[in-house]
Amino acid sequence: MSQCPYHDPFKEARREKPVMATEFDGEPVAMLIGLKEVRKAARDHETFSSDAPFRVPIPREEDVRTVRQYPLEVDPPVHTEYRKIVEPFFRRATKPEYIEKMETLVDELVVDAVNRDSIEIVREFAIPLQSRALTFLLNMPESEADIWIQWGTHVFRDESGVSKGHEMEAYTNDLFDKAEANPGDDFFSALTQAEFQGRKLTRDEMQGYANIAFAGGRDTVINTISMVIAYLAEHPEALDALRDNPKLVTSATEELFRYASPVTHLGRMCPVDTDVHGVKVEAGKLISLNWAAANFDETVFDDPETVKLDRRPNPHIAFGNGAHNCLGAPHARLIVRTLLKKLSQHAASISITTAHRKVEKEADYERRNAFHTLDVTIEPRDA
Amino acid sequence: MTRVTFITPDGNQVQVEDAVGSLMNVATDNDITGIDADCGGVGSCGTCHVRVRPEWLEKVGKADALEKDLLDLEENATECSRLSCQIELTDEHDGLVVEVAGR
Ligand code: HEM
Ligand code: FES
Repeated sequence: MSQCPYHDPFKEARREKPVMATEFDGEPVAMLIGLKEVRKAARDHETFSSDAPFRVPIPREEDVRTVRQYPLEVDPPVHTEYRKIVEPFFRRATKPEYIEKMETLVDELVVDAVNRDSIEIVREFAIPLQSRALTFLLNMPESEADIWIQWGTHVFRDESGVSKGHEMEAYTNDLFDKAEANPGDDFFSALTQAEFQGRKLTRDEMQGYANIAFAGGRDTVINTISMVIAYLAEHPEALDALRDNPKLVTSATEELFRYASPVTHLGRMCPVDTDVHGVKVEAGKLISLNWAAANFDETVFDDPETVKLDRRPNPHIAFGNGAHNCLGAPHARLIVRTLLKKLSQHAASISITTAHRKVEKEADYERRNAFHTLDVTIEPRDA
Repeated sequence: MTRVTFITPDGNQVQVEDAVGSLMNVATDNDITGIDADCGGVGSCGTCHVRVRPEWLEKVGKADALEKDLLDLEENATECSRLSCQIELTDEHDGLVVEVAGR
């Protein structure tokens, strides 16, 4: 199969060492870039702790939110208890009714897209799809998505990087007020009623759960959708392959998550001075778990820069690994599987008219990650 | 025909008659507790982890290097651990017993 238009910016560094000493926010960060090393560190919460509010995401997020995210920014054993509270909501994505609703939604959006002369994928397709699909997970009325669609790709920063996180916090705070006054079957109501260690959750804790439910599943899903569509545009044979062999959808989905790796990396804090594969990390400083670099580790993935839709086994860690592995993964997988299915059903081919890539420009590397805008035309199958 | 038995993390035994396809598919079709199989059977998620009864290991085969990597860091993995999605059942497997690792 074809070459992906991806240049893995960590290839040379990883061949030398599984760790890269770099910096973010003016602080040193020991970035792990080998798959085995990342996996191992992700499972060692005593050495590499998530008990570091605002600092699991890199760059840090004090400027965009006021609450610790749950269950992201706590360690086991208490993490297990925090996670259990919301797990049933995230597992809904594996239920037949949910899968059916997703099919209906994606079908509607894909049919609309193929019937237009052209479509800007990020704003006119990915954001509506992400927002409306999230109503299923949070068990909210689908009309609520109209509000979320206005938020743009990022809930925390506008296009120029200015913080607007307070808007979302005010919105979710309001949802909790309403849920307390008049509880329903939605995610927010469930949190107002949840028991944690024999007490109710505090409002800050509830806000912390809501914060990641909106932020964690936003640009990740939007970026994945634009990457998938760009890939299919650049590889017309992939649509045929998916049509000829619908079973390919599951392995293709995993391979496209590996290829897109929409979350480049996340942080962990070292509570004590630590030697990280030869890089000294002082107590209180960060390491980074670079999922994207790990997913192109040539000691694990044969020919990593080539997308192989039938790759299996495919031990990618785009959704993280260990105790904190992504709660939203079943939902995200369902979105991509359904999208591949519906596009192969309705689209003969996709062509890109203009594309504006996003680039993460950091101190020691540049990584292209998805698109700011992606204009395409989609040829309907029966035209 | 192939009969397989799952011993679930809560200690229950579930027998499936006429098991065909991948062991993971058999487990999900029969709602076996502890097999989530989130990735749909392509060896990405590790949520289909079983321990094959030692006497069956030879017939079923051990995990290959890549699969081992995935299993290596699973809690409660042993020599007998396999990803059930990587096991294709044949007639030879009649009587197979596996323990579901769960999470
Ligand atoms: C392509 C889509 C997605 C990717 C690549 C992704 C990636 C990740 C990663 C790498 C982690 C691990 C965090 C860590 O180890 O510190 C994570 C955790 C998490 N994700 Fe996702 N995510 C995606 C979609 C979603 C969605 C749709 C939601 C919710 C609606 C979500 C909610 C969460 C939550 C709540 C956690 C924290 C789990 C915990 O700490 O136990 N994610 N995600
Ligand atoms: S089902 Fe995901 S690894 Fe087997």
